[in-house]
Amino acid sequence: MKQITALIADDEPLLREHLRSNLARLWPELHIIDEARNGREAVEMFDIHQPDIVFLDVHMPGLNGIEAARSIARRAHIVFFTAYEQYAVQAFEQGALDYLVKPIIEARLADTITRLQQRLKQTTDTSPSYEALLDRMASDMRQRSPKTNYLQWIKASVGNSVRLIPVEQIAFLRSDDKYTLVAWEGGDALIRKSIRELSDELDPDRFAQTHRSVIVNLHYVSEVTRGMNETAELHIRGRPDVLPVSRSYLHLFRQM
Amino acid sequence: MKTAAPTTPRWPALPRPRQIVVVLIISVLIAWVTTPVFQSPFWLVLRRTTFISMVMLLAFTVSGTWRLLWLPRWIPHWLVRVAAVCLLAPFASLAAYVAIAGSFMNFIKANNLLSGFATSTIFALFFGPLVAVAAIKREDKQRERADRLQLELEKNALEREVLDARLRLLQAQIEPHFLFNTLANVQALVEAGSENAAPVLRHLIAYLRAAMPRLNDAEATLENEMQLVSAYLEIMHMRMPDRLQFELRLAPELKSLRFPAMAMLTLVENAVRHGIDPSTEGGRIEVGGKQDANNMVTLWVADTGIGMAETAVPGTGLTNVKARLQACFGKDARVDLHEQTPHGLRVELIFHPGAKV
Repeated sequence: MKQITALIADDEPLLREHLRSNLARLWPELHIIDEARNGREAVEMFDIHQPDIVFLDVHMPGLNGIEAARSIARRAHIVFFTAYEQYAVQAFEQGALDYLVKPIIEARLADTITRLQQRLKQTTDTSPSYEALLDRMASDMRQRSPKTNYLQWIKASVGNSVRLIPVEQIAFLRSDDKYTLVAWEGGDALIRKSIRELSDELDPDRFAQTHRSVIVNLHYVSEVTRGMNETAELHIRGRPDVLPVSRSYLHLFRQM
Repeated sequence: MKTAAPTTPRWPALPRPRQIVVVLIISVLIAWVTTPVFQSPFWLVLRRTTFISMVMLLAFTVSGTWRLLWLPRWIPHWLVRVAAVCLLAPFASLAAYVAIAGSFMNFIKANNLLSGFATSTIFALFFGPLVAVAAIKREDKQRERADRLQLELEKNALEREVLDARLRLLQAQIEPHFLFNTLANVQALVEAGSENAAPVLRHLIAYLRAAMPRLNDAEATLENEMQLVSAYLEIMHMRMPDRLQFELRLAPELKSLRFPAMAMLTLVENAVRHGIDPSTEGGRIEVGGKQDANNMVTLWVADTGIGMAETAVPGTGLTNVKARLQACFGKDARVDLHEQTPHGLRVELIFHPGAKV
């Protein structure tokens, strides 16, 4: 009979070692063919060794366990393990997937081994919704890290370091020859990004372009005065600057 | 966060009803007092006085919203308004008398009208500025009161922020993911009979004790904080020995500094979670503190992790740290973020330890 092989993937070496020694005790016939330190390595090693079983930690750098499982697809039996991803545990249960919770309890590991041994005898495996479930979990996990499409920080060289300026502290941005001037609570800085690029990348609820060369943070406008020829001027809270509003942007301040 | 809505622009404003009523009453009084001086009956004097004072009121309110950019800066705004009122007085008076005479030529020919015009102009020039100055004083007082109210509101907002931060601290729990993963490691060490089990357990106990929610962190010092940071980093180093290196370098004179508990730990946890952990190579974390010649304190947490995307939404942790730092060391306390080369993030807390809120 062909020897059964397995791969272990976890970013924490002590936990890899622990699982390996537990498996050696409870299932001595199982051959641990290799250990991977992240999801990407797990997929690479899987392609090389083609093991029957893959133990995958859910939380790993680079490629997480769910994404690695999507690459491996149905070519192996997969056992997930996780410390506390409540939502993941629920999903595993619904999808009838094998999983272990860290810290590992020996009786639970023994159950998992028994189930794996049965499944290895059958040729057909896992539920038909397997891929769909993994896809849904992967997209759930991506959504868990909050991201927007708008800039939250502006990187600007100040002295010999690169500052990350929170956009809510920026009063206005004005093009200044080759550069763009960033006027913020901590002073002035110059960046290379153009007003045109910035106007696309900044949150329109907070920032408005008022002139070909000016973007202003609306929260910093203290006063609007009407000027000649259908133009206006903006006064900025806490700064002496007076910024132009050209005719095509005047509508922004009309109803105020 | 300061998020004052933009104030409405001030276009030339018309007199408010209240101002009109007040000026009407003053007009009646002046007319009543000055009727004996003129040859006209009371109702005519009243009409004339009311007309002139209304024109002057208009001058007063309109000039109040002017922004005379060509005017030298040393001329105070109240003087401009009084001047506007005085300037309009003779014209208003002239208009009133021309109206009485029927035409400008009739007016010039009538001596009694000319002398009446002179008298009423003098009265207007006497009472006008008087009322204007009184009104300006009142306006100033009202503005002062509004400013005070605004200040009070801002102070309340700050106090609420501090309270919120405290509440969040109370609710701050030890992350289950961290706890169970660490326990899994301790289990592995114990079962393997490793001599590292005891020290790791010690670090975990130190961390748990410090991270338990507390109401009063008045006696927390920077030394306590660094012990907590050290316990946390020791645990994380044990869990990912190949991916996390760290170094602590706090200037010894800062050890006894009073410091809001968990503030540095929040930054260090962020560095691990968002900088080191997502990176397959890992990196190095340096935590330090120094004081310069002007007593300014700089504390820093620098990592060589993956850095931060420009679109990364700032978490509550960082906002919380800033609020607590400012509650402890005043509004000038800052949280600065720098990008590290070739990659990573450096967060600095800069404050004056003597400053009080």
